[in-house]
Amino acid sequence: MGEVILQMKDIDKSFPGVHALDHVSFSVEKGEVHALMGENGAGKSTLMKVLTGIYTKDSGTITYEGKEVEFHNAREAQAAGVVIVHQELNMVGHLNVAQNIFIGREFKKGIKIDDKKMIEESRKLFEKLNIDIDPTATMSDLTVGKQQMCEIAKAISHDAKVIIFDEPTAALTEAEIQDLFKIIRDLREQQLGIVYISHRMDEIKVITDRVTVMRDGCYVGTLITKDCTKDDIVNMMVGRVIYEEPKTKSMVSEDAPVVLKVEHLNAGKMVQDVSFELHKGEILGFSGLMGAGRTETARAIFGADPKESGDIYVNGEKVVINSPEDAVKAGIGYLSEDRKRFGIVVQKTIAENTTMANLSEFMKGIFINKKKEKKIAKELADSLATKMPSVDELVVNLSGGNQQKVVIAKWLCKNCDILIFDEPTRGIDVGAKNEIYKLMNKLASEGKSIIMISSEMTEILRMSDRIVVMCEGKKTGELRIEETTQEKIMNFATRDVG
Amino acid sequence: MILKKIKENPIVKKLGFNRIVLTGVLILMYVILSCLVNNFAGMPRVMSALNYAYFLGFLSLGVTFVIATGGIDFSIGPVMFCCALISGYSLTSHGVPMGLSLIISIVVGVIFGAFNGYLVAYQKVPPFIVSMASMNIAKGVASVFTKTQSVSWPQAAKGGWFRYFVKVGKVPVGIIVFFAVAIACSILLNHTKAGRYMLSLGSNREAVRLSGVDVKKWEMLAYVICGLLVGIAAIYFVGAYTTVQPGYGDQYNNEAIAGCVMGGTSMAGGLASIGGTVIGVFIIALLQEGILALGFTKDYQLIITGIIVICAVYADVMARRRRN
Amino acid sequence: MKKEKTAVKLKQELIVFLVVIALLTFFCLASENFRQYTTILTIMDYSYYIVLMAIGVSFPLITGGVDLSIGTGLVCYSLAGGYLILHCGWPVGLAMVVTVLFGTIIGVINGVLIGVMDLPPFLATLCTCMITRGLGSICSQNTGISWPTAGQPGSWFRSIFKLDIGGTKIPLGFIWVLLLAIMMHFVLRHTKVGRYIIAIGSNKEAAILSGINVKFYHIMAYTISGLFAALAAIAYSAVFKTVLPGTGAGFELEAIGGAIIGGVSATGGAGSIIGTFVGVFVICLLKTGLPFIGLQANWQQIVTGFVLIGSVMVDIIKKRREKK
Repeated sequence: MGEVILQMKDIDKSFPGVHALDHVSFSVEKGEVHALMGENGAGKSTLMKVLTGIYTKDSGTITYEGKEVEFHNAREAQAAGVVIVHQELNMVGHLNVAQNIFIGREFKKGIKIDDKKMIEESRKLFEKLNIDIDPTATMSDLTVGKQQMCEIAKAISHDAKVIIFDEPTAALTEAEIQDLFKIIRDLREQQLGIVYISHRMDEIKVITDRVTVMRDGCYVGTLITKDCTKDDIVNMMVGRVIYEEPKTKSMVSEDAPVVLKVEHLNAGKMVQDVSFELHKGEILGFSGLMGAGRTETARAIFGADPKESGDIYVNGEKVVINSPEDAVKAGIGYLSEDRKRFGIVVQKTIAENTTMANLSEFMKGIFINKKKEKKIAKELADSLATKMPSVDELVVNLSGGNQQKVVIAKWLCKNCDILIFDEPTRGIDVGAKNEIYKLMNKLASEGKSIIMISSEMTEILRMSDRIVVMCEGKKTGELRIEETTQEKIMNFATRDVG
Repeated sequence: MILKKIKENPIVKKLGFNRIVLTGVLILMYVILSCLVNNFAGMPRVMSALNYAYFLGFLSLGVTFVIATGGIDFSIGPVMFCCALISGYSLTSHGVPMGLSLIISIVVGVIFGAFNGYLVAYQKVPPFIVSMASMNIAKGVASVFTKTQSVSWPQAAKGGWFRYFVKVGKVPVGIIVFFAVAIACSILLNHTKAGRYMLSLGSNREAVRLSGVDVKKWEMLAYVICGLLVGIAAIYFVGAYTTVQPGYGDQYNNEAIAGCVMGGTSMAGGLASIGGTVIGVFIIALLQEGILALGFTKDYQLIITGIIVICAVYADVMARRRRN
Repeated sequence: MKKEKTAVKLKQELIVFLVVIALLTFFCLASENFRQYTTILTIMDYSYYIVLMAIGVSFPLITGGVDLSIGTGLVCYSLAGGYLILHCGWPVGLAMVVTVLFGTIIGVINGVLIGVMDLPPFLATLCTCMITRGLGSICSQNTGISWPTAGQPGSWFRSIFKLDIGGTKIPLGFIWVLLLAIMMHFVLRHTKVGRYIIAIGSNKEAAILSGINVKFYHIMAYTISGLFAALAAIAYSAVFKTVLPGTGAGFELEAIGGAIIGGVSATGGAGSIIGTFVGVFVICLLKTGLPFIGLQANWQQIVTGFVLIGSVMVDIIKKRREKK
């Protein structure tokens, strides 16, 4: 056991309506790789954001190198030697590798930037790290894996003592992952403290020394990696009491007609050969961890992103979907996980948003029949129990749950029979969540068919009649609700794919 | 506090606080100018200001549609001149009948609008590049077509019956036409599918696309409508000023955009007010008349308009920052 | 690997250079009159001010913005300088300094409007474009102004650009312009200013996160643009006899067109000044060459417009393919 370099104690953090971190403690020693695990929303990222000063903690202490510290922004943390390697890379594509590594703190020779020295330093850095990258290559020409190596090199060049890797392997190939592991091992040799956030169980076993598991904003426990099994970790991750009753029996008989059939869908790396069927009146849950390719699958089906191959059948008939327009014509509606960007037009009224997809039905000659528009919007809003002063209210003034209802109303207005809910309750408080659930059940019982993408295990278990599990762009399992357990889903979702 | 109360008043809300203030500014300007300049309140000055307001108004209405989608078109001034020159030259040198000439003017405008709209909506060329290019193409085409000669349109008595669209005797018919077109634009923007989609895509393009709407089509249509109105503007320009010279027209871009942004149309797209544009145009027209009446040259107008646009757009930027 | 990269980079500039050679060959073959020493002089005369503007405007373009005020700005600065010489009796050298200062100030203003106040670049510079046009006309009292011509005191500055040795004219300006281009190429490639301007255009978020003062470097980009527009004003005054107020609109198209042909991306982040330098000669050759094959000056406006759109489209299509 090495010396403790970083100690977080009793960290507490609340956001309006959410207790994100509930007195969490976490420590990192010199020369160890410490995994931080947990489902989506367990609080891992929040904890790291508190550490690097992006969020301010409500209470608790952070001790770094024996002194209590509080960083106010990422730059302060960086200067002190605590560096985070982000999932989204922050690189200037048009500059070369060396220029990126030293951006903001260039070496100078008179007024001239000393590129030679920067390249030389980068080369030394890469040698030290055993990375094979040409410092003069243009950043945008590198693969994502190589770009990440540069990001790591940049972190090291800041004289880092603690490096946090946030899902570093999400976009890497197998060979690149091996390279990354080599670097991480070298860093461990050099007595750096490393925090490794990942969902991939096999990686955790290979690279880490200790595992800390978080769940629902709480600290669950810490294990020595080599002494525990994968099942031990999974149990710690899911071992929660489920307050809401999970569904025990599918509401839909197995021979219900198939309304949507997707065959061998391919769209880039995140959607590989995905096939499934959706029955009438069914809620089909799509489970998986972050970056499993569920949203990408939905967007490809809906025509929002181009696909490479695959057939889609609606009610037994093959349909060609090249744009959202085609999908909507085929009766498919998509509720995005990011409502503000993809769902609603915030500066327009509820009525205008409601009729967005189906304006043709509200035309009187060339004019929009605003009376009818408002009437139908009001009816839909009432049936969904949307809380609002009137349908003339701008959507920007509504709460998250009510905005979601406006998006649902949009697709009900279009009379879509197939609805894809992508994270339907993200950012919605508990009360409104239950309402959305009730609504989805009601829609299903009325004969609508629903695909529900969700990262919340409770949500999946409570709502789905059947569950498709994805992992790294591939469908890894399909379960009927009767045979489903959290452990089974988690096993599929963390399956060691090739 | 009181200001907030006034803003919350239902009648004020309906008319728009911004528009009420602008109307106040317009009246105030008129009163002040009438005090400063002899005979400013008289018919000749008013008629002259109206003549200016007509063509500028059509340009401004047109560009309102484009800005509503979040784009920009500053080729409108030179395109207007191009319309007037091609149709005028056809009339005077090729013996094309008057009615057909007017149609040619509108068709030329629509062609430019379609050209700009296609490049912006379907090819994703940045709007400022498209504007810059078609501004020069318009100037070039007009000069080539007219062999770099200016064109004078006939007087009313000599077959120039189109002037009756501008004024009959002393009756300013133009204002009726202008208001009719403005009302039509307002209806188009607020009560039809086209307008609804243009405003929505200006506000959140991706959300509209994911609602299954063909956003490219509607975006292009905004530019085509703009072109159509530019063609009409050309007719009113020659109706008021008779002679057009190739190679000019730039200064009207800024004045048209000024009328538009002053009236509350947001440069970021999604928010547009035809009523505001109309009042904005009258302010610019009155300003131009006032500046000339006070003995200044047209150049001061350029500077003042520039400053007005900067202030109006900055106010919009600040308002958006506060909202977020 | 390393060699390959430089080869690819050179290619862009090389292709443009080959286009220049091809155009030159074409015009030489097509017209006998083109094959003369005076033609070279004409091309050079036109190239100076366009190259200087293009070098300057490359910087705002690389930040992802644009500067439309350089054309009218050029005329305005030149008129102001000329006025000081003719009407205030200032020595030419001092007037040149003031001219340059004037341009730099307008550049700073543009930078503040865009970098600090967050106005859309095309709109802010469209306004300053109109404002400088007005200012130019006002300070020249609406008449053309000639800087001292040959024989007059102070005409020495003309020989900076064209040296007359015993009747043979030597286009000396080419050397200065080339030197400035190399210097600015160095600034873009090897100094903080250039590095951060590229970073802003390529990934503004990353630039901010790296602790770069984005506002300051935005202002720098527009200041460079203003400064070079003023240098272009001096070149313009030296080469041409008279500067007329109200002109200058359209110059910016030639400069921006040259920059984009030379590989500056219309969406920011990429570009090279040497590329810009070569790209401008495509524009200059078209400008001087087309009349020799029977296409009058106005055709050149049309051609330039299409060339601009064409080169932006090439850039867009290239990017689309890279994505795949």
